[in-house]
Order: sequence, then C-alpha cells, then structure tokens
Amino acid sequence: MAQNRRRFLTGAGVAGLTTLAGCVGGFGEDADTEFNVGMIYASGGLGDNSFNDMAQSGIEDAQDEFDLSYDQAEPDDEGEFDGHQRDFAEGGEYDLITCVGFAQEDALAENAPEYPDQNFMIIDTAGIEEDNVRNYVFDEPGGSFQVGHLAGLLTAEEFSAGDGETNPDEDVVGFVGGVESPLIESFEAGFTAGVEYANDDAEVISSYVGDFNDTSGGQEAALSMYQDHGADIVFHAAGATGVGVFQAAESEGRFAIGVDSDQSLEEEDYADVILASMVKRVDEAVYTAVESIVNDEFEGGETEELGLEDGGVEAVYGDTIGDEIPDEITEQVDQSRQELIDGEIEVPDDPDDV
Amino acid sequence: MIDGLSRWTVIAITASVAVLWIALGVVFPDSWAGVTLSVAASPGTHTAMLRLAVPIALAAIGGIFAEKSGVINIGIEGLLIVSAFSAVIVTFWLGSGESTFAVSHHWWGLLAGVLVSTLFALLFAVVCIEYKADQIIAGLALWLIALGLAPFVSRIVFDSPNTGNVGTFDNVTIPVLSEIPLLGYLLFDTPPQVYLMFGAVLVGWYVLNWTSFGRWVVASGENPKALDTAGVDVRKVRYAAVILSGVFAGLGGAGFALGQLGTFAGGGETDMQGRGFIAIATYLFANYHPLGALAGSFLFAGLDAFQLRIQNIGYAVPSELIRTIPYVTVILVITFVGKTRLPDAAGENYESGED
Repeated sequence: MAQNRRRFLTGAGVAGLTTLAGCVGGFGEDADTEFNVGMIYASGGLGDNSFNDMAQSGIEDAQDEFDLSYDQAEPDDEGEFDGHQRDFAEGGEYDLITCVGFAQEDALAENAPEYPDQNFMIIDTAGIEEDNVRNYVFDEPGGSFQVGHLAGLLTAEEFSAGDGETNPDEDVVGFVGGVESPLIESFEAGFTAGVEYANDDAEVISSYVGDFNDTSGGQEAALSMYQDHGADIVFHAAGATGVGVFQAAESEGRFAIGVDSDQSLEEEDYADVILASMVKRVDEAVYTAVESIVNDEFEGGETEELGLEDGGVEAVYGDTIGDEIPDEITEQVDQSRQELIDGEIEVPDDPDDV
Repeated sequence: MIDGLSRWTVIAITASVAVLWIALGVVFPDSWAGVTLSVAASPGTHTAMLRLAVPIALAAIGGIFAEKSGVINIGIEGLLIVSAFSAVIVTFWLGSGESTFAVSHHWWGLLAGVLVSTLFALLFAVVCIEYKADQIIAGLALWLIALGLAPFVSRIVFDSPNTGNVGTFDNVTIPVLSEIPLLGYLLFDTPPQVYLMFGAVLVGWYVLNWTSFGRWVVASGENPKALDTAGVDVRKVRYAAVILSGVFAGLGGAGFALGQLGTFAGGGETDMQGRGFIAIATYLFANYHPLGALAGSFLFAGLDAFQLRIQNIGYAVPSELIRTIPYVTVILVITFVGKTRLPDAAGENYESGED
C-alpha cells in the first residue's frame, strides 16, 4: 500500500521533472564539428519504435564514427515538409539533409532544383532525378517474401513456443495492413508470394484497417483471422495498429510477425508471440549516405536499393521464441534468401500479380 | 423522414430486403448472400460489435445530456481521448496487475479517466456557460486540445506518442447463464465495460425521462426562460448536464481503453478514430433517445466488425470500399429515418434577467 503510494509519487515526480527537462532541452549544441546533417522525419515523429527511430539510430551511429553533429525536425503533418526542407537548405550550413519517408517526395522534388548546391537524401522513394538527391529504397517484397516463407512452412507444422502454438488443422496465415498504398501492398504481395512458395495449399487472408494508429482495428481484424479462419500466424505492416495484432495473438495463443524493426525487442510485452520481424534497415541507409558525404563520394541523381544481399531488409527471428523454430525450417528460409539474391525467384510488388 | 415515404414504407422495404437476404443466404450458403449471412450470424462478429459499441454508446448518452440542456458538446471526441489516455497512464503508473485497497489498478485507472474527462467537461462548461463562448468553437477547441495533449504527455512519459502496454480487464463469465445460446456469450461472458455501457444507458434513460432533473434538463434546452421563471437555476442545470456528459464520455473512453485497447496510440486521429463524432451522429438519428442511441451504436459497431470480416473473406471488392460500409449506412439512416428536432435553445447562451 505505502509502497504503491510511493510508486505513484515517484511516477508523478518523474513526469513533472521530465516536463521541465523537455522545456529546457532541445536547443542543440553549437555545431563546431566538421560535418553537419539535417534530419527531417516522417510525420509519425520520433518515438514510433520503427521508421523514424531507425533513421535516428542511423545518424547516431554516424555521429559515433565521424566528426559530426545533426539537427532534427519532426513535422506534424505533410504540409510542413516543404518549410523544414527550405529552413535547413536556406543557410547552407548542412552537408546533407535527410528526408525520411516517401511523403516528402513532392516537396523535395520542388526544393532540390532550387538549392542545387545542397545535398539531399530521401528514403522510400525512387522518384527524384535531381543531381543533388540520392534516393534510397528497400526491397520490401523480398523481405516480406522471407517472413512469408517462414509463415507458410510453420503453419503446416505442429509447433509451439512461448505463448503461442500453430493450428495444424488449417494452413491459414494472415496479413494486416495499415493504409492501402503501393508501399504497404508490396509487403502483402511479397508475403503472399512467400507463403505460396512454401506451401501451395496455404491460404493468405488479408485486410486493411485504414489507419496506422488504430489499435482496436488491428485487434479485431486479427481476432477474426485467428478465431473465424483458424489462422495461426499474422504478419502486419500497420505501425501502431500492429500492436493490436500482437494483443490478439497473445489472447488467442497464436503467433504474429512484426515489421520495420525487431519488434520482439521494441514491444517486449509481446515477445512471447513474435516469431520474427521483417526488418528494414533505415539506419543503414542514413549511415551509408553520411559516410559517402564524409568520404566525398556522394552521388546524387541515383537510386540505391537496399535488399536482402546487403542486409537492407531481412527476416530477424524473435528474440525470445525465435530460437525454437526448427532448424530445417530456418535452413529453407536461408536457402530461399539466397535464391532471391541470385534472382532465381521473382517477387511481385502488387498483390494482384501473386 | 422525407416526403412520400412513410415510416412504415421504409420499415417494410428494409424488412423485405433482410428477408430476401436471409432466404438467399440459407438456400445458397456459398453465394455472396450466404457468406455475408454467416459472417453476420457469427458469435465473433456479435462480441466484437458489443466491444466496439462501448465508446460510441457512452459518448452518445453524454452528448444527449449536454445537448438536451442546450449546450451542444461537439468536443465529446476530445473527452473520449483524454479519458482513454489518462486511464491508461494512471494504470501504468500505479502498476498494472496489482491492486490498492483490494481494488485492481485497472479500476483506479478507470476512475482517473472519468475524473479527468469530467474536469475537461467542467472547463468546457465554464467557458460556454460562464464566459458565453460559442459552443461549436469551444467544442472544437476541446477536441484539438485533447488531440495534441495526449501524444504530448505520452512523449514525455514514454518517449513516444504511443503509451506502454497495461493489459485489459478480464471477461466476466457468469457460470451456467453463459451457457445459454446467443444471450449467454452476449450478456454473461463479456468484458466489464460492456456491462458499464448497458448500465449507463439505462441510468441515462431513466434520469432523462423519469426524474425531475431530467425534466429540468429538457426544459433548459427547450425553453430556459420558463424554467427560470419556475425558479430553477438554468445555469446550474446546464453545468450539471455538461459535467454528466463528461462522466458518461469518460466511462466510454476509459472503459474502451482499459477493456479493449490496453494501450493508447496517440498519433494521427489517435485510437479513438473519431468515434465521438460517430456518437453525435448516432444520438441525432435516434432523436436524443438513449435507447435509440444504443441501437445506433450497435449498428455502426456491428457494421465495423462486419466489414473487417468481409475483407478477410477476400472478395474482389477493394477494401477501401468495404471499409466505408459503416459510414455510408449511417448517412443513409440519417437521411431516411432521421426526424431529428434540435432543442429550441440548443447552442444559445442563456442570460438570466436577474443580474
């Protein structure tokens, strides 16, 4: 009792102090380093446990390695991208401006020609052909194929680990997407192709919740897959909505597959049901770009694809239960990875082509 | 009700479409009608409907009280957001899965959510009643403040717009009764916030229709001058009604957060996903009747549960279109069934002649 009251007071006190700290912090250090980078995040902001945080960890890695400082902007909505890009570019004090997320494409396509001496990089689009912009894209279909292959193999097995078990009676797996867009649909396409590659009889059911911040939507979509269709593994590409998928897996005693970062570490409450995550190494892209600036090798007007071969995307097994996946299954997944790299398997990026 | 279509015509058309659908579905179980019928008849859809209806029904009851008293509270979505968020964060601070004074911390969290929502409603009441602010603008402000405040506080505490995970209430399962077909799983094996919803709707209906306070609320919205003349303080009645709207919306938001979400995603529209606005549509087409509003929230929540399941079946209809089913239906119902009559003095500030 007294213990609880003390915990509450500590909690409240910490919250109060952090508020204060939040007010005084964030003015940044003076940049007397050799290199200076401006970071403009996607509108989810930092703390999303995936995309933006990965980009930030990339710039932090670069800071550890090089004589570098960085400033960052967290736009609240798409209308602010243009302003932040101009702010950073105007003074000419940044060696590189990093634009995270395909939503910045339109703004950057306009701004890049206006600041021809400013180097930019943009993540998740291949659409900008200016000489001062380097595009980075990821092979989402390839990475999703990998986790699809894993799911397709496991659903036919009798397997239990952590808090989950498969349903050997039905070969059904699920996909929950956030918002329908070519990017998210390419996850679905790769996943479905991977499942079918593993197991012709397996069925993939998919639904889109319509938002990246709808926990209950993710929950209900996945619950219906587990309960009504006998699905045992559900892969999500749905941001915070995906937490609902993990909750449903936990309550039904089934499995889920995470996305973007290793979610068995980020969402550790659900580590007992997260088989694997389709990790997108956004941090790699940022680090590589900064490295090219430092080495004076930056080449704009090109698109760099980060795929399975360079570890830009990969299936990372869950931290808690990943070890229990049988070796003969992980060996097959490794083998299909090699075949994907060698181009022996073609992965579609549109679900209609699977 | 539009001209030329009597209430009975609409009911007859709807009923014959439903009968045709069920008949087709039973005779051809593999047809489109059969598959959708089996989805609509599945227990999973029904329990999801009950869970998803909680925030809508409770927010609607709250909205009815405020609007009946003459204060249009379009900020009810904001009340849902602050109550859901504070319920989660207080449960987190206290430590989920433990209890104080023999009461689980989830219930303390629920209480905190209701308190915070009530506090915001009080603030809204002061602005609207004391300072005679425009109710629509103040309501919008309430929503926008909540929309910004929840992720802001979350960022300070969790370093992310999304809060940590606190788990949810367990289902309340009543032995024997839960074995009854249909009613068993609907009413006797369900999470506690569903009971809260039914209880609150009944209380709301009773208070509004059968107590003198309920009559004052109605009079304060229809003819505040008469109420004033009768010696009842219109200001106090409106305060009480708006604060009640905070209590009901708080139960809805906090109950939904702790009974279903177990966490709170504060990005974008947040986890409330505009359910407060759906609640407003719901009580408008129920013409301020609490039981009608409950039915309306079942309609929307049921269609929401339905559309997710229809997507899973994998028809070639684009999922964007399937997702609009609940919204389109609500618009159709409002157009054809609605005969909403706003209280005469709704939206107007009342100036007592005394001072």
